[in-house]
Amino acid sequence: MIAIVSDDGQEMVGAVLEEAVSHLDPQVVYFAANTMDIKPCAACASCSGKTYGRCVIQDDMQQVLPKIAGCRALVLVSPVVFGGVSHHIKKVMDRMAAVGNPRYRVSGGELVKGMSGQGMRYYMVGIGDHLGEAEQSAFCSLHAENKNIMSAKGKAFLLDSRLDQGLIHEIAREVTHE
Amino acid sequence: MLLERICTVTGGKVTYLPQQGSLDALVLAMQKAATIVISGPCYINTYPARLIELLETASQAGGFSGQKLYGIINGGMPYVHTHRHGLTCLQFFAEQNQIAWQGGFVLGGGAMLDGNPLEKHIGRKKVVPAFDLFVQHIIEGSSSPDSLYERAETAMGSIMTHFFARLLTFMVVRHIKKHGHDPDAPNWYLREQA
Repeated sequence: MIAIVSDDGQEMVGAVLEEAVSHLDPQVVYFAANTMDIKPCAACASCSGKTYGRCVIQDDMQQVLPKIAGCRALVLVSPVVFGGVSHHIKKVMDRMAAVGNPRYRVSGGELVKGMSGQGMRYYMVGIGDHLGEAEQSAFCSLHAENKNIMSAKGKAFLLDSRLDQGLIHEIAREVTHE
Repeated sequence: MLLERICTVTGGKVTYLPQQGSLDALVLAMQKAATIVISGPCYINTYPARLIELLETASQAGGFSGQKLYGIINGGMPYVHTHRHGLTCLQFFAEQNQIAWQGGFVLGGGAMLDGNPLEKHIGRKKVVPAFDLFVQHIIEGSSSPDSLYERAETAMGSIMTHFFARLLTFMVVRHIKKHGHDPDAPNWYLREQA
């Protein structure tokens, strides 16, 4: 399954991407995080102890977490905000700790962790017009750090509001690629 | 604790980020301040969502003119690069809002969120003097260089890295088992779906 979680503005990039992906792989789910009731992580640490692997906050994230836990590719779509993602998408990222692997391991000489699903690929799609080189680089570096800490593979993409159809299809091909 | 440490020498006021409800009062406090110091934990390589929401809200509100902004980000992994994006995020926020970015401090190797003083940090020999120099920059209103926290990073050799990976894993697995769970079982959400 491929899970797309998007902070969709007027361009509805998440919905457009879901449509493109569905032609290549019908096993795709899409969530518009900005329209859902998702609360911030309370840092209660219950998901790593008392309720191991499960988030205790009862909100719409309970629909999203099972899909993230079981997906082979996760795609986060967000406007580029201060070189990173919007708070809607960041709430999803922060709450993903519940489906993370609690074990530490060494990769590239450094401590890393991982996700509970084996071999999940992780993509970020940033949306923004007139983004400077530094902000594009910051967005890609956030993805690279996320990828490293999750021990995942994947890519970051940047789109502007013209929604280049060629690039949309390239992203769809990439995320459906086995 | 890190902000309290700063306040004892600068005389500033700590305002806590409300976890729910309006952020307007905090934005107003930021607009009125001459110097803003933002400190927060590192979640998934940058600041948590609620702090990003504060920056978005403040940016939409506007009303900034030359305030000085410093940042602190504190996380568990001992590497500067793991947490650095938080400061990058603050820098873009400053640049897009007529705020003067003055630099920040990345503190890895353990979160100081449990009320412990910096003197309890595992890398205290390097971290305490570096952080105090950072505070001195805030007092003087000068720009704090990245090299300050980069030099305070404690490099772990290969043996120590593997040792910590085993030790931390042992501790988290023991904690999970103490709560009656099997750390090797598939994730709870996957079991529920099966």
